[in-house]
Amino acid sequence: MAADGNTERTLSVDSRGRLLGLHATLFEAVLLGATLFGIVSLCILFGYIAFDAFRPLTASIRWYLLFAGTLVLPTTAFTLYARRRPAVRSANTKAFGAVGGALTVTLSTYIVVDALSPYDVVLCLLFGGYLPVVLWLIVRRTKRTPQTGLTIILAAVGGLAVAHGGYDLLRPIVGIAAQWIAYFGIVTLPVACGLWIFGRRRWSRQTARRAALSALGVVLLIVALALGLGIDPSFWVVVLSAFVIPVAVVIGEIGVTDPAGRIGSAGPFVLVGGLSAFLAVERQLGIDGPDGYLTATLLLESWHGLNASSAGVYPQIVGSIVTVGVMGVLAFPIGIGGALYLEEYAPRTGWSGRFATLLEVNISNLAGVPSVVYGLLGLALFRNALGFPTGIVLSAAGTLGLLILPIVVVSAQEALRSVPDSLREAAFGMGASRWQTLRTVVLPEAIPGMLTGTILALARAIGETAPLVIIAVATTKYSPPDGVLSSATVLPLQIFAARSNVDPAFRHGIVPAAAVVLLVLLLLMNTAAIVVRNRFDRRSQ
Amino acid sequence: MSSESNAARESLQRNDHVVRTERLYAWAIAGSAFLTILVTVGIVLALLGEALTFWSAVSPLSFFTGTKWSPIIDGEYGLLPLVSGTLIVTVCSALIALPTGLAAALYLSEYASERTRSFLKPALEILAGVPTVIYGYMALVYITPLFQGILPVSIRLIPPGLDPLPAFTLVIPSLQTFNVLSASIVVGIMIIPMVSSISEDALRSVPDELRAAAYGLGSTKYDVSTKVVVPAATSGIVASYVLALSRAIGETMAVTMAMGMSPQLPYFPNVFRNLAESSQTMTGAMVQIASADSLGGVTYEAMFALGLTLFLITLSMNVAAELVRRRFREVYQ
Repeated sequence: MAADGNTERTLSVDSRGRLLGLHATLFEAVLLGATLFGIVSLCILFGYIAFDAFRPLTASIRWYLLFAGTLVLPTTAFTLYARRRPAVRSANTKAFGAVGGALTVTLSTYIVVDALSPYDVVLCLLFGGYLPVVLWLIVRRTKRTPQTGLTIILAAVGGLAVAHGGYDLLRPIVGIAAQWIAYFGIVTLPVACGLWIFGRRRWSRQTARRAALSALGVVLLIVALALGLGIDPSFWVVVLSAFVIPVAVVIGEIGVTDPAGRIGSAGPFVLVGGLSAFLAVERQLGIDGPDGYLTATLLLESWHGLNASSAGVYPQIVGSIVTVGVMGVLAFPIGIGGALYLEEYAPRTGWSGRFATLLEVNISNLAGVPSVVYGLLGLALFRNALGFPTGIVLSAAGTLGLLILPIVVVSAQEALRSVPDSLREAAFGMGASRWQTLRTVVLPEAIPGMLTGTILALARAIGETAPLVIIAVATTKYSPPDGVLSSATVLPLQIFAARSNVDPAFRHGIVPAAAVVLLVLLLLMNTAAIVVRNRFDRRSQ
Repeated sequence: MSSESNAARESLQRNDHVVRTERLYAWAIAGSAFLTILVTVGIVLALLGEALTFWSAVSPLSFFTGTKWSPIIDGEYGLLPLVSGTLIVTVCSALIALPTGLAAALYLSEYASERTRSFLKPALEILAGVPTVIYGYMALVYITPLFQGILPVSIRLIPPGLDPLPAFTLVIPSLQTFNVLSASIVVGIMIIPMVSSISEDALRSVPDELRAAAYGLGSTKYDVSTKVVVPAATSGIVASYVLALSRAIGETMAVTMAMGMSPQLPYFPNVFRNLAESSQTMTGAMVQIASADSLGGVTYEAMFALGLTLFLITLSMNVAAELVRRRFREVYQ
């Protein structure tokens, strides 16, 4: 590159240098192209799916103008306004998070409880949840015994056993009450208790008590109103307790404590207001929207193999949510336990040290085992060894739980590793034992990271199909599961089963719409993971 | 924790119940860690038990060397057609994913600004997070018709003016409804992030002193990237390749949906026919047996034999990747 012996030459760009520059630019462009290749191809494929599911060309121009005018423009304008001001932006994010999270929790709670029958759920909750809590309060009031945690766990398990054993006797007794009372017990009471505990930390005791009582009062008032009008108040009880009250609390708190960002909390309402204005005008003027396949029928009806206009995936959606929920309950504690052992307990030397190394290697290898093989394990374990019937929720959830266990362990390990050692040393220095240190110092710091990892693992499991095909989960079912021992099907299996249907209304309509539903579920879970992680990051700074 | 009044009098030993609680939780936690070992043991035992029953009915020799896989109709259990299907898909998806993934890793670690990287990297990760059943559906319903519009193509390799030479023509035949090409494309897209994220970690862990030294000698950025950074990170890149291949071998839903269910031995002189026609992988055969809903019987046990073979292949590849990474890693102090 350097011209030896020629001192006249400077380091200026000659033709060779220009060529080199061109070469470098080309190389960078090629690299960028390779990076974008996968992303762009996926976007194109998603575009095909969205085009088939929504059929945007069937809508009129007026519809798009209305859509832009009521929804896109106000929301964009508000977001741009909020982006300039940090306080407004953070309030906006918080309000959107509250509304989105509360909406998701409300809908999934209602769907799942409705599928499983509210009476059964309230029965389990009564014996497995309320009873241990009351017991704990009594124990705490009288004398602090050493084994409090164990007492509660035993009480919960014992309560569930009693509820299971005496089901035939207890179920009719619970069944006497109206359905809304069951929902009141499932949703409203926990929300009020949560509000009370939250309020005691944030505000004063008196305010907290008043807030909890007034929440209960408002719900009862609405129930009375609905009963007076002759409407079944069940759904409204859930909406009011799990959506309206939490959102009101969050937004009210922003309004009181954060005067600078107060306007930001209006963000969700701009969106909701735009949406309702849009719907009202659309109906009033009779504008034709796109004639897509992602309709209320698809979301709320059960599958129909011949007639696309009446085919829906409601049982599949419920099945997916229930299966993944049960799987999380099974895999989370075991995964956390495994990570705790590896990070906090496992010695580094001797035979136990070798055991720990073996565990580490084993977990990293388990993560690389193909998912079909887990299907074979599930088949051998749940059907051949334990003798479960084919295709029940419990065996599907167990199989997927084994599949995500290594992912949960690894992410929990990372969360534990990010807790600084100084915290542990401080706790040990105060005389705390290892478990006390873990429970009071390490776990509270690490739980958000663990939750993030677990939610991501759940998101992976919700799209998993191969192991479920192997354990012979039914591909099509016409009713949602009504318990962990009933058979169920999940969304990806329905997509798999519908691949051979050549009717264009299915091939280029219902199935892409079902795929969109699955992708939205995935997106929601990933968003939840990001929200949890961001909260965690902010706290640790 | 305990009553503080007499704590001063007592020795510094902890209370009995604290010790007991401590021991209890330690055992519970060690137990849940032990469970992960049981999963592996369970996998091996479950696979081995049924597979051994299968191999007592069908000799392992004819299983591993048989050239016909037709379990339900003819009762023929020859693994080779399935291995060929798996290998073709793996090689074709590797042709897409390995160069692309390495280039993406190089761009992200050497060229991209922090801001670009912060949204390109998660966007790449999405490729691995999309459910495989959706990939399979895309391959079947969107990619295949796309190629069916272009193909068949015939290209004359030697221009028409040179008459004395024979007319070599390259013919890429038209695609069947189920074909290997579309399956390989989606599997390739799916495993890009596997290559790019592990390779990127390896590239980023190359210390800056090496780059600075190369720049100091007058190298361009291109030279530094290709002649210094990539060679220094070879072990990590090779490990990422092996892991990605192992993921492609174990991939199930996309290949089952897009490739069909007709196991084939490779067509030799006409190589492109392998891509254009339907085939079957080992995983696809397992899904087919499982969907056929026959409990028990030799065919059902054949599924476990396939599973065991697949498990051993992927396990040895994963172990190999780990060994490559440990053995050939350059340690910079």
